[in-house]
Amino acid sequence: MRTPRLLVSGAFRFAIALALVFALGAVALLVIVEHSVSAYAVEAAGDGILAEHDVLVNEFDASGRAELVATVNRHARAVREDQFHYLLVDSAGARLAGSLPAAAARTGWHEFDVWDSDQGGSGRPAPVMAFGSRLSDGALLVVANDVSDLRDLRSGLRISTISFGILISLLALAGGLLVGTLFLRRLDQVNGAIARINDGRLNERLPRIGMGPEFDQLSTNLNRMLDRIEALMDGLRQVSTDIAHDLRTPLTRLRQRLERMQLGTDPAPIPEQVDGAIAQIDEILGIFGALLRIGAMEARGVQASLATADLSEMLERLGQIYAPVIEDAEHVLHEAIAPGIAVRGDVELLTQAVTNLIENALHHTPPGTRIDLALARDGDQVRLSVADDGPGIAAAERTRVLGRFYRIDTSRSTPGAGLGLALVDSIARLHGATLTLADNAPGLRVELRFPRLAA
Amino acid sequence: MKLLLLEDDTETRVHIVRLLEAEGHIVDTARTGPDAIFLGTTGAYAVLVLDRMVPDVDGLAVLRALRAADVQTPVLFLTAMGEVDDRVAGLRAGADDYLVKPFAASELLARIAALSRRRPVAEVATVLRAADLEIDLLKRRVTRAGRRIELQQQEYKLLEYLLRHEGEIVTRSMLLENVWSFHFDPGSNLIESHMSRLRAKVDKGFDRELIHTIRGAGYRLDANP
Repeated sequence: MRTPRLLVSGAFRFAIALALVFALGAVALLVIVEHSVSAYAVEAAGDGILAEHDVLVNEFDASGRAELVATVNRHARAVREDQFHYLLVDSAGARLAGSLPAAAARTGWHEFDVWDSDQGGSGRPAPVMAFGSRLSDGALLVVANDVSDLRDLRSGLRISTISFGILISLLALAGGLLVGTLFLRRLDQVNGAIARINDGRLNERLPRIGMGPEFDQLSTNLNRMLDRIEALMDGLRQVSTDIAHDLRTPLTRLRQRLERMQLGTDPAPIPEQVDGAIAQIDEILGIFGALLRIGAMEARGVQASLATADLSEMLERLGQIYAPVIEDAEHVLHEAIAPGIAVRGDVELLTQAVTNLIENALHHTPPGTRIDLALARDGDQVRLSVADDGPGIAAAERTRVLGRFYRIDTSRSTPGAGLGLALVDSIARLHGATLTLADNAPGLRVELRFPRLAA
Repeated sequence: MKLLLLEDDTETRVHIVRLLEAEGHIVDTARTGPDAIFLGTTGAYAVLVLDRMVPDVDGLAVLRALRAADVQTPVLFLTAMGEVDDRVAGLRAGADDYLVKPFAASELLARIAALSRRRPVAEVATVLRAADLEIDLLKRRVTRAGRRIELQQQEYKLLEYLLRHEGEIVTRSMLLENVWSFHFDPGSNLIESHMSRLRAKVDKGFDRELIHTIRGAGYRLDANP
């Protein structure tokens, strides 16, 4: 099971490629070294032959043929190791001196094998390199040298380079396989984790891959992505449950109303019953609308589309718009809005957030309550607050009211779907602002803290 | 007047056509984008009502094609998506108004009426009049029967909008969008509070009421009794 997988794995291919590169390198090294070494050796051997040849030709020019024959015979005898070999033939081809075979009687450079039997050898052929030229009287002088050393050198080089190449390639292959196997094993763990996540275990996380900081970075980033996905999935699941739960009530009421109309059991006039039904549908649509807005907001994430939003101007405008509403609700509005404060944001969304806060303060406090609208710089932040001196919210409830559909008034007699603060929270997060609910002693104080716009 | 409706859903289409015909309009319908582009370029319509979500060539593409062909007929965009980005996309493509589905019948009728009676002249007028009520837009001064009326800024904006749409029904959401730039329903009686103050200043003490409440629809400022 493991071996075939290893053989098709990327790690194995990597090892093969590595070995191939080393093998190619070894071949290239062999060719280069062999070429330069043999070129040098051949040149050295050739120079020796030419020098000896020149000496003998000079001898002939100075003293004549008889002396040359004597010198050749003396040089041939003086040779201890297999050094130079000679052949001197007259113009008719008759041997005058030297031991080389008659076939060697050629002018110019040539190579051939001699049977070294006269040296008491085993009859092994020895390669020689020879140079021949005609003398002025028509005789042919050939000087040859044994180049078996050169051949040995060449083959020795070839063998050692090839064996080293094979060894290095094998080591590279083994190393690649080892590293690859380790890597595969780590990846197996990661893949296993991913398979479990795919099967629905969303809280599972990837192990560290190891093998270097880049790989760990990868698994860390993937885990971060999984965290985000899990949070979104949780949110989605929560919302689906909430929707199912919260829409059931108004839908049930609507259904009951329509059934009463069908049966004619409701004493109210038909137009009034229809008005009621439409109002119930509008309530349901309102919940949907708010959910869609929250959803769209969260899908947008942090966006570059945010422009500069003048909070001072926006709050003053909202103060003007709400002044008569607050007055009619027998509440008292106080404003403390510092001028010229702007943040990065979307005026429309921020307007909706502050509107929701003002509406909350209006709906959940008794007449006579004071509502404070304030905007101020606070260090490197901007603080926007909507506070009241009404009944407030118990500390334990404060974080829960931020959740969708959460309503303190469990009897649900006040209007609204419990989405107001959840929407404000979404808008705040989109703007990098924090939403906090605090005790206004007495009352509730809702604060939005924005990062201050860089000047 | 003659209207063109692009809507692919049969039930909705029939419903809207009935509504508009009951109001005395003549309605041509298109089920697909290319049909709407073909009919729209004839220039025979007072208002084009385009649904955004139509298969293949959607409402947005139809709108762009019509505007590219220099068709200047007012367009009311119907969309099931009411989010900021969608709305901006529609307006940028050249829509004059938009309406989020599902909508109340009165809302659709009021917006079509407002679009069809758009008078470009009124946009550059410096004085708006209805009966004995007058707004001097340059001096931001309001008078009725020659008597000066002091209005708060929000009241002034509200009155100006009503006067620009004199004789037409303006709905709650039209007021929220155009007077206060609220593209959502704040849920409280915001409009009622402002309207009652405006009425107290504009209508109280005069022999005839100009601002009327239209039950289940909105408000109307009428010069004629």
